[in-house]
Amino acid sequence: MPSDTFFDPHQRATIQAAMARIIPTDDAPGATEAGTIHFLDRYLSGLDYIYAKPDGSGFEQLSGKRAEAWRQRIDVVRERYVAGVRDLDERARAAHHADFVDLAPEQQDEVLRNLERPDQEQETDLERARVTLYGAPVEPALQQTSAEVDLGFVPLLALHTRQAFYADPIYGGNRNRVGWDVIGFPGPASLAEVHTGRYSTLDYFADDWEHPRAKETS
Amino acid sequence: MTNGAKPDRADVCIIGAGASGAAAAKVLTERGMRVVMVERGPWRTRETFGGDELANVNRYNLWPDPLLNPRTVRDSADGEFRTELFCPVPQMVGGGTVHWQGWLPRFTESDFRLHSIVGDVPGTTLVDWPITYNELEAYYTQVEWAFGVSGRAGANRYESWRSKDYPCPPLPQSRYAQKFHEGCAKLGYNSFPTPQAALSRPFNGRPATVISAFAQQHGDPTGTRSSALNVFVPDAVATGRLDLRPNAYVSEITVDERGRAKGAVYTDEEGTTYEQEADVVILACGAVETARLLLLSRSPRFPNGLANGSDLVGRNVTFHEYSAAVGTFEDPIYAWAGGGYVSASSFEFNGHDDSRGFVGGGHIAAAGVGIPLPINWSLPNRPAWGAAAKQVDRDYFNRSMAVAMVVHDLPQHDNRVELDDSVTDAWSLPVARITILAHENDLAMGRFLIDRNAEILEAAGATSVQKVYIDRITGNCSHQHGTTRMGNDPESSVLDRWCRSHEVNNLFVVDGGPFPTGTGINPTLTIMANAWRVAEHIANRPKATRS
Repeated sequence: MPSDTFFDPHQRATIQAAMARIIPTDDAPGATEAGTIHFLDRYLSGLDYIYAKPDGSGFEQLSGKRAEAWRQRIDVVRERYVAGVRDLDERARAAHHADFVDLAPEQQDEVLRNLERPDQEQETDLERARVTLYGAPVEPALQQTSAEVDLGFVPLLALHTRQAFYADPIYGGNRNRVGWDVIGFPGPASLAEVHTGRYSTLDYFADDWEHPRAKETS
Repeated sequence: MTNGAKPDRADVCIIGAGASGAAAAKVLTERGMRVVMVERGPWRTRETFGGDELANVNRYNLWPDPLLNPRTVRDSADGEFRTELFCPVPQMVGGGTVHWQGWLPRFTESDFRLHSIVGDVPGTTLVDWPITYNELEAYYTQVEWAFGVSGRAGANRYESWRSKDYPCPPLPQSRYAQKFHEGCAKLGYNSFPTPQAALSRPFNGRPATVISAFAQQHGDPTGTRSSALNVFVPDAVATGRLDLRPNAYVSEITVDERGRAKGAVYTDEEGTTYEQEADVVILACGAVETARLLLLSRSPRFPNGLANGSDLVGRNVTFHEYSAAVGTFEDPIYAWAGGGYVSASSFEFNGHDDSRGFVGGGHIAAAGVGIPLPINWSLPNRPAWGAAAKQVDRDYFNRSMAVAMVVHDLPQHDNRVELDDSVTDAWSLPVARITILAHENDLAMGRFLIDRNAEILEAAGATSVQKVYIDRITGNCSHQHGTTRMGNDPESSVLDRWCRSHEVNNLFVVDGGPFPTGTGINPTLTIMANAWRVAEHIANRPKATRS
């Protein structure tokens, strides 16, 4: 029976607490309500949740070179999380004599910020990625020029929390579409809505609007 | 060298089934030729595509996986090469046209003769094209009518003559396109609906395109957008003369005792290796991979790579650079509607103007910010995490847009694609190694265009505007050109005006490689039109002269 989790209970609680600082709960839901930890734990569990089937009926089975690449990627990312949890706890204990998960939110923010503070070389890399994506998040966003395996722990955590908050709910986060509701994105009711062509965004166009020169040229 | 049974000889073997290869396959098979088209990636059907931002934008569902297909790159003459996936294009039947939103403006007459207009530019290898707009016009029309391009003839004041209107009227107008038109109108700039590879009405037996949010960087599950996969491949298949072999990785173009291209050696998914022989070989792998394949194809007769006696294969490479001014507004724009790229454009700054202090210019257009979907949308200077980051998402996800530019980076002799001497791909072959230095002209053009874009946003009523200048060429467009430039002089070009090798008279290249300049305009329409032109030329030649 394949497992759909990777973290042990302490790791899971630690990452869940850190995610709650990445997208905090305020007057609107945050990472906790969206279930982002479930998204991540399942992602790291192996190769069974990499790609949803486009009709929403389950997940793709990977094979061949594609599967090899993903196995390699998941291994790298798992190691980064295991080391990240260790770093969070070490810094939490050194500063506040408690595990990260037991700190107050402000103390957790401080630990994350200190851990994030990059050395000079990382800073150059981050700046390079930021320029490539003209200010977009440091992740493979505009075109695929930077990759998650190259990210340090905190940027990786921020990336995955964001993915979990805003991805299609089939991946285990964005529970009840709370992420989409927070920012006002009218996403599809399901992947099947898009797959069958029923999902349209024409209502958000300006189709009653006329070009200033349309009369002259027609 | 090969261990698979020898396939039947073909009239033509095309390497790469993307925009240009599929266009050539359609033309050649419809003219009665037997074509084998070999594609390293899969032949996916529309049922395998979906509305999944995570899979498509972030998890390499369509993009090449960088762990399998790395490249190396440096942006200084003596710097270290870094491993990164520079200028990727999907490797699959249909290539980049599968996940694009298909901005398809034509080049203008002047774009083919910039050198005649401005003269030599120090540090560059700027030249005119050996062909003119007039020679391509009929093929532009062919591609537009095959694809059912949606646009309005005459709306672009700077467009050159056309023999026929667009087959479909413009797509419905997005709010970000509306803002762009308003800003341009206030400033006295001409603007026009971006011609797009989508159907604004049923056309040629195909239904109108579904206006989803999952479009840019997503394959189309409804099959209603226009692509090489949806249009050219079915046309070629319908002739019964196309043998399309996906998942077949070509590692070498072989030559015969007379120094002509003999065929292509490829390996299938099971690891079996074959040699496909043909009278004519056409490379359509994209400018980077075509150069790499030529350089990999070394033989006693061509010790520096096939068709590379001039040492020009891989040189003069250009990539464009995409950047933008980003504005926020009080009223909602919904820049994800339609996928963020159902746009409006201007050629106001595409043509050369001496008073600007730099050479050439580029296409500007409205768009969402990056990929303007929930995961990947962002604003410049947005914090990476925390309450402030969340607030930016809430305030501006629906109220931001970009006015973007395509920089025409000028060709330089030492900007080049080579083979890496240490990094290999998942097939154990040396990867493309890229040296790309921005020229001062590229950066000056970028500053100028971004400043104009910011003014357009301000004129449209933006409450805040941020300018993102470029400081180097990052390969973020997926556009690539110049590695096998065409020209009339074998000393200064790889291909002749028919995109045939000066040295190997049955070897052709039809992707962006033949482009002597990248221009400041999205290249794929011109790539397809040129492939169509070259394919007709091949079909018109008497068979006896083909090999």
